[in-house]
Amino acid sequence: MNILLAAGFVLMNVGIYLFMSMLYKRFRLPVLLPALTATFTVVVLLLGFDISYDTYMIGGEWINRLLGPAVVSLAYPLYKQRHVLWQNLPAILGGTVIGLLVGMLSGMLMAVGLGFSKLYVLSILPKSITTAVAIQISSSLGGDSSLTSVFVMIAGFTGAIGGPYIIKLFRIRSESGIGIGLGTASHALGTAKALEYGEQSVSMSSVAMTVCAIVGSIVGPLVSWIMYH
Amino acid sequence: MKIIRIIAQVAVLYIFFLAGDYLQKLMHLPVPGSIVGLLLLFILLLFKIVPVKLIEDGSLFILAYLPMFFIPATAGIMNHLDIFSGRGLMMIGILVASSVLTMVVTAHATEWITVRRTGSRSRSKITVAREKGSEA
Repeated sequence: MNILLAAGFVLMNVGIYLFMSMLYKRFRLPVLLPALTATFTVVVLLLGFDISYDTYMIGGEWINRLLGPAVVSLAYPLYKQRHVLWQNLPAILGGTVIGLLVGMLSGMLMAVGLGFSKLYVLSILPKSITTAVAIQISSSLGGDSSLTSVFVMIAGFTGAIGGPYIIKLFRIRSESGIGIGLGTASHALGTAKALEYGEQSVSMSSVAMTVCAIVGSIVGPLVSWIMYH
Repeated sequence: MKIIRIIAQVAVLYIFFLAGDYLQKLMHLPVPGSIVGLLLLFILLLFKIVPVKLIEDGSLFILAYLPMFFIPATAGIMNHLDIFSGRGLMMIGILVASSVLTMVVTAHATEWITVRRTGSRSRSKITVAREKGSEA
């Protein structure tokens, strides 16, 4: 029975995702991003049919288990772009480390300042990192994966929608600055936006995104330790 | 036959994840096991110990459907719906402000580092210097 239920939820998940990505490919609007619309649909269905999250996770757990290999698979694009990484190593490493520190500390300090609980403060820490990695950092530090996942989406939309204004207003001039900035602050959504600023921006952005995931998972525990010890 | 190759390669990626997880627990690393697995695979690819063909199709497959894998984790937000109302909305402000700051600081730090390294004061030369490649 449980097996059937689990398989049912897995199929539902896959079906909704595939449908939503078709919809996205058709209209290409940022609000139709499958990660957003598919999650929204799943939540509405669960609430509508009064199914608890724990029941859904009997199947969800199966998909969740693939997050580990999904993170490992990020080694492939990094390997493919290793020349971009080596040629720009100081800029990419320097930019991402500084950006991660500023991002994590500013987010956490504002959350503490406005009186949010420790759960929220720890969940906001990895917001600029790509979701698959961010939720693992969050849960290993004592944050909540689903909160983090939503925070990561908002950070992504900030870069994807606000990026062009930020670039103009704060006079970011080089393609590497735009690419590494978007990749560090807004992960995959930022990288998609970087497409509009040339090939160099995209490759820098995608490398910065992966480097951020690696560096962030090292810096993250350090920052949380500084904040709470 | 491609589907079998993809499944086998995803299994290889899973083994790297398990190895990373094992190392993480063994050495009490603060980094998630999956990241240890990523680094392990990246290093073995660099040294050509693992041929890229062994994981290429599996990786491309997973990456193409990446957002699907975190729907279950994200759906947990149904237990935290209060962040979309009242005080929770302040969180959105924090996220936007912090993300803008992150992007601006990162971009300017990057440009500053590039300018210093090329020894040029003019930012317009950054791209030229980088295109020449490794001597930059």
